Amino acid sequence: MKTKETQDAVWKAVILRGRQALRQPLVATIFGLLVGAAVILACGQNPIEVYKEMFEKSFFKPYYLFSTLTRATPIIICAMATGMSWRAGYINLGVEGQMVTGTLVATVTALFLPGPPVLVAIIAWLAGMAAGALYALLPSVLAWKFNVSMVITTLMLNYVANYITSYFVTYPLKDTSGDGLALQTPEIAAGMRLPRLSSTSTFNAGFIVAILVVVFMVFITRRTVFGYESKMGGFNPSFARYGGTKQVKVMLITMALTGAIASMAGSAEVFGLKYRYADSMLSSTSYAWTGLQAALIAGLDPVGMFFVSIFLSGLQIGGSAIQRSLGIPLEIATIIQCCITLFVSVKVVIRFVKKPKAVKEGGKQA
Amino acid sequence: MKHITKVYGSLYASDDVHLTLDKGEILAVVGENGAGKSTLMKILYGLEQPTSGEIYLNGELQHFRSPHDAIAKKIGMVQQHFMLLEPCTVAENIVYGQEPRKNGFFFDRNAAIRITEELCDKYGLHIDPRRLVKDCPVGLQQRVEILKVLYQDADIIIFDEPSAVLTPQEVNELLLTMRKLAEMGKSIIIITHKLHEVMAVADRVMVMRLGKYIQEMPKSETSIEEMSFLMVGRHIVEREVPPQETTGTVLDVRDLVLAGPDEKNILDHFSIHVDAGEIVGIAGVSGNGQSELIQCLTGLLPPTSGEVVLKGENMAGRSVGDIRNAGCACIPEDRYLWGCAKQATLTETSIMAHQYKPELSRHGLLNSKGAKAFTQKLLDDYDVRNSGQSQKAGELSGGNIQKLIVAREMEQNSPLLIAAEPTRGVDIGAIEFIHNKLLEKREKGDAVLLISSELTEIMSLSDRIYVIYEGRAAGEFRKADATEEALGILMMGGALHEN
Repeated sequence: MKTKETQDAVWKAVILRGRQALRQPLVATIFGLLVGAAVILACGQNPIEVYKEMFEKSFFKPYYLFSTLTRATPIIICAMATGMSWRAGYINLGVEGQMVTGTLVATVTALFLPGPPVLVAIIAWLAGMAAGALYALLPSVLAWKFNVSMVITTLMLNYVANYITSYFVTYPLKDTSGDGLALQTPEIAAGMRLPRLSSTSTFNAGFIVAILVVVFMVFITRRTVFGYESKMGGFNPSFARYGGTKQVKVMLITMALTGAIASMAGSAEVFGLKYRYADSMLSSTSYAWTGLQAALIAGLDPVGMFFVSIFLSGLQIGGSAIQRSLGIPLEIATIIQCCITLFVSVKVVIRFVKKPKAVKEGGKQA
Repeated sequence: MKHITKVYGSLYASDDVHLTLDKGEILAVVGENGAGKSTLMKILYGLEQPTSGEIYLNGELQHFRSPHDAIAKKIGMVQQHFMLLEPCTVAENIVYGQEPRKNGFFFDRNAAIRITEELCDKYGLHIDPRRLVKDCPVGLQQRVEILKVLYQDADIIIFDEPSAVLTPQEVNELLLTMRKLAEMGKSIIIITHKLHEVMAVADRVMVMRLGKYIQEMPKSETSIEEMSFLMVGRHIVEREVPPQETTGTVLDVRDLVLAGPDEKNILDHFSIHVDAGEIVGIAGVSGNGQSELIQCLTGLLPPTSGEVVLKGENMAGRSVGDIRNAGCACIPEDRYLWGCAKQATLTETSIMAHQYKPELSRHGLLNSKGAKAFTQKLLDDYDVRNSGQSQKAGELSGGNIQKLIVAREMEQNSPLLIAAEPTRGVDIGAIEFIHNKLLEKREKGDAVLLISSELTEIMSLSDRIYVIYEGRAAGEFRKADATEEALGILMMGGALHEN
C-alpha cells in the first residue's frame, strides 16, 4: 500500500526530527539534575531519595500532578506569547507587562460590566486581549517610527505596567469588604469563573485554554502565510524584505498577537484560580520569566514549549514539596531550572568538545 | 592527505580523496560547485574535521582541531571573503593575532609598520602599511590577506577562489605574485573555476567531481577542453546568440539620483532603458553604485529623485511588494544576505515571493502540498543537488543555492528580470546552465538587466552594454561595438578618444 508507506515515512521523519529537537534539552536536564544533586549532597541529604520524593510530588501522584498542571497553565501561555514574537525575530521581554495590563483590564471589565455572567466573562477576556495587544503595540510603534530597541522598551514597560496596576489595586479598585488590608480587587461573580476539572484540587479549565493556545500557535506557525513570513523575517529580515513581505504589518500583527496571548495567561489565573486580581500576583510568581525559559529550552517550538513548561512547573511544585517534607530549600528547584536553561545555551561548547573525539575515532578506522 | 572522507548527513562531500603537494609547487584544484574542493581545503586548514582519513605533513600524522593548529604547522589560507578589520591600518591587520609588543604588554605600532615593510621588500609586494584597509581597493585588500599569511610564516598557502572579486589587471598581478611565491619555495594550492588561470599559473591540476577524486595531471599534459570535460563530465559548447528584434521598453530609468552621506551622489543622474527581448548588461568595477542601483530598482531603497518606469508606470519609491507585483523579479547579488535565510528549509526558501499565488496559499492559509510540489519542480528542473526539502538552505553548496534562487526568480515569469552577479562563485556547468536560462528568458520576449563584474559574462550575453562608473552611466555600447579594452577604460574612469 503506497499510502501506508508514505505514512510510515512521514512518521519516521517526525520521530527523527523530534529526537533531534529533544536531545539537547534532555542532555541539559540531566546536567541540571546532576548539579542539583551536588547541592543536595552539600545539604547532607541523599539526592536519589530527594529526587524520588520531588518527582512523586510533582508528576506521579494525581493531587500533585494537578497542582503542577494548574501552575503550568499561565506558564504555557506565557511561553507561547514569548515564542510568537521571538520566532519573528523580536526580542520581546515584556510578556509580563502585557499580561499584567491585559489581566487588569479583563478583571475590571468582569467586575463592572453589567449583563449575563457568561457573556460578560467572554467580553472581559476579549477586552483583556485587546489591552494586552495595545500594550505590546506600544514598543513596536516606537521601534518602527523611532528605531528604539525593543529589548529595552519591552523590559522597561514591565515596570510601568506593574506600578500602574499596583496603584489601581491599592486605591480605586481595592476590596474593602474584609479587613481591607490585602491589596486586591473584590472577587468576580461566580457565574464567570472557569469550571474546575477535579473535585479535590484547583485544577481548572484554564488548562484547556492553554491547550487551545498551543493548537492556535501550531496552526499559525505551520499553516499560515503570516507564520511563514514572520518566521523568515526572524531568520533573515533582509531576505523577507527582498521577497516583498510587508514587514511593518508582520511586526504589528506579531506583537499584537503576543500581547493578546500574554493577557490570556493572566486571565486564566484570575478566572480559573484566584477569582480576583491581587497586587503582584502575576509578577512575584515569575510566570513570564519561567515561560521565557521554557521557550528558550524548547527552541521556540510550540509543542516543545508546552511540555517544557509543564516540566518546569513540576520542578517548582516538587521543590516546594521537598521543602515541606525534607527541609531542603525551595531554591534547589530554582537552581535546577536555571542550570537547565544555562546548559541549553551552551550547545556550542558541547559541540566543540565532541568534535576532536570524532577525529580520533575516524583516525582509528582508517 | 589520504583517504579523506567527510559526510554531511547522507551526503559524501568528500569521498576517499587523496591529495599531495610538493615544495615550491602550485597545485590547482578544480571542480564544479559542490565537488568538494572547499570541504577538502577546510579540512586541511582545520576548519572542519574529516569523518575519516589522515593528513600527513612532511611524513608526520597531523590532527588539526582548529585553524590555530594548522597555522602552527605553517599552513595559511587566503579566504574568498576577506577577514580584515576595515577601520584599521594595513600594518595592524597584518600583525593581528601575533602583535609585536613594547615592554611585553603595549602594542608596538612602529614595529608593526617596520615588520610590514620588511615583508613587502622580502616578497616584492608593495603596499603602504599606514593606509586604512577600507581605503584600499579589493586587489590591495587581497594583498593584505596574502601578507598576513606570509607574516604567519606559512609554507603552504591555500587560495580559495582568489580571482572572484578582482578586475582583469588585478588578476594578472595576483598570478605573478603566486609564481613568485612558488619560486621562493612556498607551496600553493589554488581552488578555482577559471581554467585559463589554471593554465597560466599551475604546475599540476587535480580535478574533483561530486566529492570524488577524478584525475590529476601536470598542466603541460592537459588543456582547458580536457579539464572542463573532466569537471562537468560532458563537453561544454561555445554559445552563439542569434540577434533578436526588441519590442517596446519595459524598464526606463530616468535621471535616477541617490544622495550619499556626503555631497557626492551614490547614483548620479543615472539613465538607462531595457527593452523587451533583450539582455542589457551593466559593466563596472564593484562598488561604483551597482548595489544601490539594484536596491533602488527593486524598492529596497527609495531613490532621492528620478523615475523608475516599469511598463509605463513610475515605481520609484514604491514598496518591494508593489514592484514585484508590477512585474520585476530579481536574482540578488548577495545570495546569503538577500537571497535566502540559511536556517530556512528548501521549501521555505523556494516559496518566497510566490507565497500568495493560488496554488500555494488561499485566504492566508498555506497549501503545504502545493508548496512541496512547487519546490520539487524547482529542484528538479534546475538540477539543485539536495538531500530532501527539509534540508537547510545554508547546507547547500554556493552554486546549488544560487541555482535554486535563479529558479525561484525565473519562475516568477515576470516581464523584467534583474540578474545581479548571477554566476558569482559558481562553477562552469552551473554558469552555462544559468546563462542558458537567461537567454531563454530573452527568447521569450522578456527584458533582462544583467549586472555583473564579470566582463566576459556581460560581453557574451548582452545585446547592449552600459558601463557604470561612480554612479553614472559612463558609456553605452551595442554588442558589436564593445571591446574588452574600451569597456575596461571606461570602468576605470577613463575617457574614450573618438577616432
